[in-house]
Amino acid sequence: MGETFLFDKKRYGYVFNIQHYSVHDGPGIRTIVFLKGCPLRCQWCSNPESQLQNPELGYNPSKCIGISKCLRCAEACIYGAVKQDLEENDKILIDRQLCKECLLCTEACPSKALEVFGKQTSIDDIIQAVEKDSAFYARSGGGLTFSGGEPLMQADFITEVLKVARRRRINTTIETCGYAEWPKFAKVCQHLNSLIMDIKCMDTEKHKKFTNASNELIIENFKKLCEEFPNLPILVRTPVIPGFNDSEEDIRAIIHFIKGRSNVRYELLPYHRLGQQKYNYLGKHYPLDGMRLNDETFNRLKEIANSLE
Amino acid sequence: MESCCNVLSPHEQRIQEEQLGKKNFEGRERVFQILTSFQDLRPKIDVERAKYFTQSFRETEGQPLVLRWAKALKYTAENITVYIDDHQLLVGRAGYQGRYGILFPELDGDFLDVAIEQLPNRVESPFDVTPEDAQVIINEIAPYWKGKTFHENLAMALPEDTFKLTYDPENPLNSRFLVNETATFRSSIQWVHDYEKVLKRGFKGIKEEAQQKLEALDPMSPVDNMEKKPFLEAVIITCDAIVLWAKRHAKLAAELANKESDAQRKQELQDIAERCAWVPENPARDFREAVQSQWFTQMFSRIEQKTGTIISNGRMDQYFYPYYKKDLEEGRINEDQATELLECMWVAMAQFIDLYLSPTGGAFNEGYAHWEAVTVGGQTPDGLDATNDLTYIFLKSKQEFPLNYPDLAARIHSRAPERYLYEVAETIKEGTGFPKLINDEEVVSLLLSKGACFEEAYDYAVSGCAECRMPNRDTYTSGNPYVNFAAAVELTLYNGKMLKFGDEVVGLQTGDPTNFKTWDEFWNAYVAQQTNFLKHAFIQQHIIINMRPKHFATPLGSLMHDLCMETCKDLHTPAIEGGIDLGYFELMGYGTVVDSLAVIKKLVFEDKKLTMAELVAAMKSNFEGYEAIREMLLNAPKYGNNDSYSDVIAKDVDREALKFTKKYSKELGVHLDLRLVPFTSHVPFGKVVSATPNGRKAWAPLSDGSSASHGADVNGPTAVLMSNFNSKNYNFRNRAARLLNIKLSPTCVAGEEGSAKLVSFIRTWCDLKLWHLQFNIVNKETLLAAKKDPSKYRGLIVRVAGYSAYFVELSSDLQDDIIARTEHSAI
Repeated sequence: MGETFLFDKKRYGYVFNIQHYSVHDGPGIRTIVFLKGCPLRCQWCSNPESQLQNPELGYNPSKCIGISKCLRCAEACIYGAVKQDLEENDKILIDRQLCKECLLCTEACPSKALEVFGKQTSIDDIIQAVEKDSAFYARSGGGLTFSGGEPLMQADFITEVLKVARRRRINTTIETCGYAEWPKFAKVCQHLNSLIMDIKCMDTEKHKKFTNASNELIIENFKKLCEEFPNLPILVRTPVIPGFNDSEEDIRAIIHFIKGRSNVRYELLPYHRLGQQKYNYLGKHYPLDGMRLNDETFNRLKEIANSLE
Repeated sequence: MESCCNVLSPHEQRIQEEQLGKKNFEGRERVFQILTSFQDLRPKIDVERAKYFTQSFRETEGQPLVLRWAKALKYTAENITVYIDDHQLLVGRAGYQGRYGILFPELDGDFLDVAIEQLPNRVESPFDVTPEDAQVIINEIAPYWKGKTFHENLAMALPEDTFKLTYDPENPLNSRFLVNETATFRSSIQWVHDYEKVLKRGFKGIKEEAQQKLEALDPMSPVDNMEKKPFLEAVIITCDAIVLWAKRHAKLAAELANKESDAQRKQELQDIAERCAWVPENPARDFREAVQSQWFTQMFSRIEQKTGTIISNGRMDQYFYPYYKKDLEEGRINEDQATELLECMWVAMAQFIDLYLSPTGGAFNEGYAHWEAVTVGGQTPDGLDATNDLTYIFLKSKQEFPLNYPDLAARIHSRAPERYLYEVAETIKEGTGFPKLINDEEVVSLLLSKGACFEEAYDYAVSGCAECRMPNRDTYTSGNPYVNFAAAVELTLYNGKMLKFGDEVVGLQTGDPTNFKTWDEFWNAYVAQQTNFLKHAFIQQHIIINMRPKHFATPLGSLMHDLCMETCKDLHTPAIEGGIDLGYFELMGYGTVVDSLAVIKKLVFEDKKLTMAELVAAMKSNFEGYEAIREMLLNAPKYGNNDSYSDVIAKDVDREALKFTKKYSKELGVHLDLRLVPFTSHVPFGKVVSATPNGRKAWAPLSDGSSASHGADVNGPTAVLMSNFNSKNYNFRNRAARLLNIKLSPTCVAGEEGSAKLVSFIRTWCDLKLWHLQFNIVNKETLLAAKKDPSKYRGLIVRVAGYSAYFVELSSDLQDDIIARTEHSAI
């Protein structure tokens, strides 16, 4: 399973979470399907488990009941990758050099301290999960939101899901960073009711430094999006990250770029560190440790952003 | 602690009172003055009601009970101290100024003397009693009632095998919390009067009706002489009693007015005197009279008998509206004045504490619980939307003056106006849990299926916690059985025994489960245990229904009831012609049971990850040394997540119970419907159940109502609603209320968009035909508690920006971050 499994990319995708009762990402009460894999490496990324496309092993020590009470993971591991944590004696440590991500330990773990992030999921699985809340969509105008990761990394797959969703009258939207080949992007847009797209920074160098990718493709895509889909409601979002884009110039530059289109709305999201813990689960390092967003700064920027309306 | 409806712990109550203290007093000086006069005082016991009832009962031995009750009421009305509180616009209280409780020795007189000595020191809901009053109780009141109370007689009447499931064999005062009766700590279950009748006709009108009927009786008929005559005489005496009580207030108010130097207060006292001289004897002529008349009626009803838990207020926005509208049009009142008068009633309500002396009654009603439900909204008898200007005044009052009184219930139907739902949503967002919502789309059709006409069903009023009454059609007042279904699981695992009770065979011997080969075998054994409990619950209820009329009468409640007046029968009579008897039995520990069965089905029989012997061993040791197994149990499928695996089991458990009552309710002549509304009793019921297969530790609370086990619902509120929907058997009419609490973080409902989404959530709940819904918009305190005790808050979702997360999964400093932000967002 650790190796890339060759499967029909139109019928299966890699999903790491399906979250019901989402009330902040698109109209109404929605279900978010989080897809795995992302072309960017944003330093503030709150979903580090979404970055790679393949399933990954995560370890949450606070759920682990301790090796004095349970050794099932160590017994299950055939590579000797489960070791005692020398700092916290009763907990384990995954030796990521030895671990082959066979994930046998996750099946053995009774407390779900060891868990797989990511699962091959079929179109039917998604539609079924999403339709569980259809009674709520009917009243609220909600539906399905694809998020990630970057959903356009699995454009073929989501296109197929979106087709089914449309036939079943499920309202759809995606949250995208906009970094994708335009034909794929365009194909997905044909089946959407609305779209949420990040524009993080207009300065190409800064963008590269903080996300590991240039913004040129994103900017090009946004222009094409507006030309080819003038009636698609678009919400542009900017996560405000201290030290990256929390200046008035940054925000004004984005507003200047997106303004003048009746189908485009704009929203700022304050930086948060909700994903920090998950870096530890994955044995990764959180790049922005210790950063805080100043409330005053954010409120001032929000006023500027509101001026677009 | 999780709780049903609006039971505030003293701690929560303090928080709320602090919040009240910070609110703006402007325009509310009067009600805040009244509120501050009592809110810090510990409740006191007032003995007058018990004393005068007992004195009267000594004099009336041998007479028909309904007549004795009426005479006791009259004697009490003549002698009880009357009060007029400073600043108050309403008068009529049943005891000491400040917070107080009164005694009902007809329920607990035989052990009153012992209980009263313990009362000031009890941990839950303590009360003070003066030494003089204690002497009256011990020397005058208690001795009369020994050997006469209902609970003594019931204990003697129960068959042996029913008795041992009901009471502690050593001491019948203590419940066993297996098949629990609730008829001995109250004379009536929740009830709601047809107050409109009093407002329109006055007690004079009702008295005249009784007099005419009395004159028309057949003087030769033994039934007319021995049943109808005493009933009608009791009605007349009771009408006289309440009028006399009101007029004593009129006299006192006039005296005080003469002495009063402040001109404004003098005028107020003169107005009070005039009103009390007119109502409730005569029909109310304006809004102020209507409110005073209703208040006298409900207070006199509180004196008459112990209605558990407190007499409800009915559809206040409906029966007060004509008076309000007329006064408004004719310039006699404005919105602020009407609000002030209603809030005078709320602070008056807050002073009467429902006192329970029996250990069982106390356990059911922790924290001075009260459900004097005021119903707003809904539909008119002809099926139109019923909201009016008063509806909005009630909601606004709750937003601006968030007192824990009254218990506010909002009826919702499929065509409820958008403005109404938004006002309801805005009130919910205040975070005090009000109003609770009751669904017309479920309740009306069920009432119809049980024999009501449309106009009665559309006109139902919320009564008590989640029940619904048709005040002139319902005729069932017996306290109902609470059945510990989680104990049935334990009995199945230990072949009829429970760890709490050692070697005693408590249930059926359904076999050693380690010998069971299939899930079906286990399931059948469980159903046998569950059904055996129900058998004894119904036997118990049969005795209760027939024995209560020998102990309790309610002439006041009866004279407001069309059918009682028509048949000349007291409302506590077992069968009243034309009545619909809506009772229930309570399924305790639904989530605990379903999750336990799901574990056994999946882990033991299907996946074979665990043997029955291992499971039993783990439970016997309360999971000590079996921590890994407990984790497996905790991570098995759980009810409340819209997961069909457990929801199917939930529906099966529900159906088996429904099948029993469908078959046997008929012979009892009543509807004993399946209900899931535990008050606070899931705590004491949990105290007799050892560790359960869902990973719950021994003696911990059971799941409450139809909610998921604590922290087991991790898929958000839509999943909770869907699990409820999926587990209901809509083809059975034998179902009653299901209580459902939902926790939301304030950020989920923030702003205009949050209100819109809350409204659509409520509309979907209405579409799903779920009975009840109440929201906890969790605040900082809850987040702090969640941080301290994460296992109880696993399902709490928090939202900061562009991302939602389970609060307890966040790191400590992030939690602090969010706690700080929540405080910020609350401004």
